[in-house]
Amino acid sequence: MQPSVMPWWRRRLPQPLFAWLLVVPVLAFFVIWNIVPLLWMIGLSFYRYILTFGVNPVYVGLQNFSQILQDYNVWAHIGLTVLFVIGAVGVETILGVLLGFAFWGQTALPGRRLALTLLFSPMVLAPVAVGTFFRLIYDPMYGILPYYIHQLFGIPAPNLLGNGSTALLSVLATDVWMWTPFMILMTIAALGAVPRAMLEASAVDRLSIPRRLRYVIWPHAKFILILGVLLRTIDAFKTFGLVSAMTAGGPGNATQLISLTLYREAFDSFSMGSASALALFVLFIAIAFTSIYLFVLNYQKREVTAE
Amino acid sequence: MAGVRLVGLTKRFGTMVAVDNLSVEFPDAQVTCLLGPSGCGKTTLLRMIAGLEQPTAGQIFFDRDEVAEWSSSRRNVGMVFQSPVVYPGLTVFDNVALPLRGTLPGPELRKRVGDVLELVELQAVAQRKVDTLGNAERQKVSVARAVARRPRVLLFDEPVTNIAAGERITLKRAFKRLTTEVHLTLVYVTHDQTEAMTLADHIAVMQDGRLVQYGPPRAVYRAPRDRFVGWFLGNPGMNFVQTRAGIEDGAALFAGVQGAADLALVGFRPEYVAVSPVPEPGYVPARVVRAPITVGGQRLLTLQAGETTFKAKTHYRQAYTAGQTVYVNLPADQLRWFDPAGAALLRGTPGRRGTGPDGE
Repeated sequence: MQPSVMPWWRRRLPQPLFAWLLVVPVLAFFVIWNIVPLLWMIGLSFYRYILTFGVNPVYVGLQNFSQILQDYNVWAHIGLTVLFVIGAVGVETILGVLLGFAFWGQTALPGRRLALTLLFSPMVLAPVAVGTFFRLIYDPMYGILPYYIHQLFGIPAPNLLGNGSTALLSVLATDVWMWTPFMILMTIAALGAVPRAMLEASAVDRLSIPRRLRYVIWPHAKFILILGVLLRTIDAFKTFGLVSAMTAGGPGNATQLISLTLYREAFDSFSMGSASALALFVLFIAIAFTSIYLFVLNYQKREVTAE
Repeated sequence: MAGVRLVGLTKRFGTMVAVDNLSVEFPDAQVTCLLGPSGCGKTTLLRMIAGLEQPTAGQIFFDRDEVAEWSSSRRNVGMVFQSPVVYPGLTVFDNVALPLRGTLPGPELRKRVGDVLELVELQAVAQRKVDTLGNAERQKVSVARAVARRPRVLLFDEPVTNIAAGERITLKRAFKRLTTEVHLTLVYVTHDQTEAMTLADHIAVMQDGRLVQYGPPRAVYRAPRDRFVGWFLGNPGMNFVQTRAGIEDGAALFAGVQGAADLALVGFRPEYVAVSPVPEPGYVPARVVRAPITVGGQRLLTLQAGETTFKAKTHYRQAYTAGQTVYVNLPADQLRWFDPAGAALLRGTPGRRGTGPDGE
């Protein structure tokens, strides 16, 4: 920056002070809204504190944690969540990659730009809104889907969300509807990272399609694609609004994802201490995922510097 | 290997005409250089031959096969791009072998790849990862990969443009070796005329999407078909001087001048201008306009005789200074005649030896 083109108020301020002025609002926001509640939560997780009892918090040490680790229900809900994440992200990735390839190959397709823009629409909707809509679509009395199942297969209109064996799959299908476009866009972005000359060279070189995928496309596309999968994994682990609006965890505990368990512990039982402990537990799982993601990013950097 | 024949080939991008109704035949097992200034359509032409660009109109033949509708893979061409394209994470050997795997038995494949690597002098780094190589060596890898497949036609798209100047010479040497030892139908796009002159059996000079002249390098250099080719080839290009000679029956004559529109142009190459610091018989005086510059061991003079300014190349040992008077002579057999529009005339005026550029 040339001193002469600085406005007068910048010349008045010493350089480090100006830098601090820029950083402080962000830092303050981060500390007030992130760090303080987090520390508060960590502290609370060592206390028994049930809002409805009207009793002051009682220090109980690690008791909340040992209860969580011994609670069969918590493990069952975590298991269900992992199943949901694997199923949803798996289907979204496979569909997204296939459709992404289809989009990528059709640069001359009329309305391609419009279609790409429309792909964003499910992602920008609030999950609760999507959940509410799909609950109506699935409704056994008025829903369009059970109606067509009835018409096509001649079986009574099924209660998809009310049945323990189809509820999770129905929620998962909604998540797939909502998030497959994200994986399509990630795939298109990943394929865009492949240099055009390399694709042309591999065509001229008469490489078979599997070889083009293995030696030309994968080396350039893998990082963005893996990034997409990881972002989806972290996000799917936190799924709440969708399932809350569709089934609220039911029937029974058939769709009780860990985020719902957490919510119930905190705002149904008002058991703040054990809810905080559970939240910490989930946070650790999220940190584990984030570490994998950071590892992959660093892996890319290492490979770049090695070149 | 196959000869390449283009018939009425045209490529338009929107309203821009990149290649304009171009017909030419590149002979089998010969090196043809497509030469022209940037944006003349030579790369587009090459990409159409490779099948990477769809022609707007016209036909492309490899021998008897009409290939314009074929995919790149089906055409069986080899191509080297402006920036080296290598398959990352593989060794040099595997890069060259990859397109051949599954088509050749192991021992034959190893021999084929080994031979080609030797030809481009890469056998020493055969087991190294391509990612560790410099640009020039990567480009050699992509050349080896294209050659090892024994394609029907080899296409090079300015292969040394993105290579550091110091490494270019090793690449060019490899190309020269390649073209003399292996008989390839090679179409080589370049805007560097030195490259074209050293490598080509034929050069095709392009301008604004059209083929201006096609022939052996020396012939094109000696007898440019029009003013553009004369100016473009050579460093610096041909001098052009307005004469008082009229044109009749496609030849320049000193008699029969009708009007200014019919006056012929004379073109002569700077290296054919004889320059002497002292008066000699048949020489005319000229003035050195600017301080001379040295180009590749030769001195480039800008001279003025009468109203005419032109360039001359002389031996570097003879020093000249700006403003000095020198004496020049043009051998009549080195004069080329052009009509006012710049097209070459069949012949000039015979028997006027020893005239200065402005003289009669």
